[in-house]
Amino acid sequence: MSVLSLLGHLWRRHRLALLWLAAGSGFFQWAITRVVPAVAQSGFVRQLFDMAPAPVRVMFGEELIASLSARGFLGFGYVHPFPLLILAVWAVRVATGALAGEVGRGTMDLVASRPVSRSAQVAAAAWAVLAGLALIAAAGWAGTAAGLRTRPLEGVAAADLLPVAAMSLLLFAAFGAIALLVSATQREGGTAVSWCAGLLAGSYVLDYLARVWSAIGFLRPLSLFRYYEPQRVLRDGLVAGDVAVLSGVGAVALAAAFAAFARRDL
Amino acid sequence: MPSAAPAVTTEGLGKRFGAVRALEDLSLTIGTGEVFGFLGPNGAGKTTTIRLLLGLLAPSAGRATVLGRPVTLGGAEWRGDLGYLPGEVSFWPHLSGRRTLEYLARLSRRPPVDRAALLDRLGLGAETMSRQVHTYSDGMRQKLGIVQALQCRPSVALLDEPTKGLDPLVQQEFYGIVADARGRGTTVFVSSHVLVEVERLCDRVAMLRAGRLVFAGDVEAVRRAQRRRVVAAFTGDVEVQALSHFGEIVEMSPREISMLVAQKDLAALVARLGMLPLADLVVEPPSLEEAFLEHYR
Repeated sequence: MSVLSLLGHLWRRHRLALLWLAAGSGFFQWAITRVVPAVAQSGFVRQLFDMAPAPVRVMFGEELIASLSARGFLGFGYVHPFPLLILAVWAVRVATGALAGEVGRGTMDLVASRPVSRSAQVAAAAWAVLAGLALIAAAGWAGTAAGLRTRPLEGVAAADLLPVAAMSLLLFAAFGAIALLVSATQREGGTAVSWCAGLLAGSYVLDYLARVWSAIGFLRPLSLFRYYEPQRVLRDGLVAGDVAVLSGVGAVALAAAFAAFARRDL
Repeated sequence: MPSAAPAVTTEGLGKRFGAVRALEDLSLTIGTGEVFGFLGPNGAGKTTTIRLLLGLLAPSAGRATVLGRPVTLGGAEWRGDLGYLPGEVSFWPHLSGRRTLEYLARLSRRPPVDRAALLDRLGLGAETMSRQVHTYSDGMRQKLGIVQALQCRPSVALLDEPTKGLDPLVQQEFYGIVADARGRGTTVFVSSHVLVEVERLCDRVAMLRAGRLVFAGDVEAVRRAQRRRVVAAFTGDVEVQALSHFGEIVEMSPREISMLVAQKDLAALVARLGMLPLADLVVEPPSLEEAFLEHYR
């Protein structure tokens, strides 16, 4: 009952942002289907990639460059910073706003002085983060599907991209759980946002640097982006190890968020 | 009238924030249906006490019960019987007043039986309630805070600085609201540093200083224990120093004296003054304010 009331409240507060983010995600993936190079163009694009500096090629995915195809290009749409940013904005916005944001605004007093358990508050925030991420990821995939329906590409089915969208949801669900843990320990929404943005950016940069600089390559497993490789998913299907790591990190961070929020002073 | 069953108890309750002792060894018992005043200057520990009673803070020492149930950070069910007005009340700025009250009543899991009457008494009309809270003045926000705290007819109401920002007319209405709540058996815990308000509202009062309880008792007993201010003016010169054994002389001149006199010595002083060329005599009723100031000097 409390969780549903809290969820309804979160929906009213964030629905407009969610609709914009989902629309942005869908439009971006649809637009990607418009610019996928046709077979005749792919050779030219491959030459362009070959001329690009090595760090740029690494950033856009060696596998994409190696197998320049419609499938590869569509997969690239799911590692582009724009859709990643959209998912990150939702995960951080809702997770930090629901706990630390309420504490900082003073509205937490009104909620926490009522028969609403602290676990219900964390649970409501977690459901809101997850449901929003699912909607944004689904909108992205729907954009791909709609694009492929109007511009069919040889050898590519929209269903091929479904596991990729699911992995993007799992990656940001893990980040959302980490954001909830940060939020559960902070007194101000702004501070929590700063921490989460730092962790996300740090993880992204670490993954990139570890790929281009072999001396720190051993650090790459510390970045959650290491476990999100759309090209590999397109080639081999879901990778059980990556799913396990992202699910595990998310579950542990969420459990820690429940524990931290249950014990803290408000 | 208050019953004997305690609504709120604290035993050796204490709270530290790092090296800062916000509250120490607070032991209180508040009866059901009582209006209890909690006095103290800023930083005395009033808000910390209320937050401990709500389970928003974990005590560093001691324990508390509300309506016979131990106060804990977890286990939220017992809060269904509480109403709380924070000292710095904040709302969701883009929610209307009406939606705010509906949302908070849903979370309270009790029907808002007194909402309409409270809105009417505090002058919050339908147009105001349909507006987003960020358009409200401080006074309107405070009124909304009072309504959300009392709309579900709580068994215990914890009100932190309830009249802050209210104009005198609304303050009077608020006093009536508290009196009515008390009449229905609600226990009201009012934190304030407005002494006149506490004097008017409360059956008993506790005073805190630097996190420690310095006094707890009946408001009437506080008044009785308080020394009266006596001002006597004379038609001719008088040896006023000779009156010093009746109490403490605050100001004196050959034709006027101002003294603080204990109630037990008052009759003897008046009898003595009657023997002098008295022009005027004023015996000021004792106020909580003087008691308060005496405790904090």
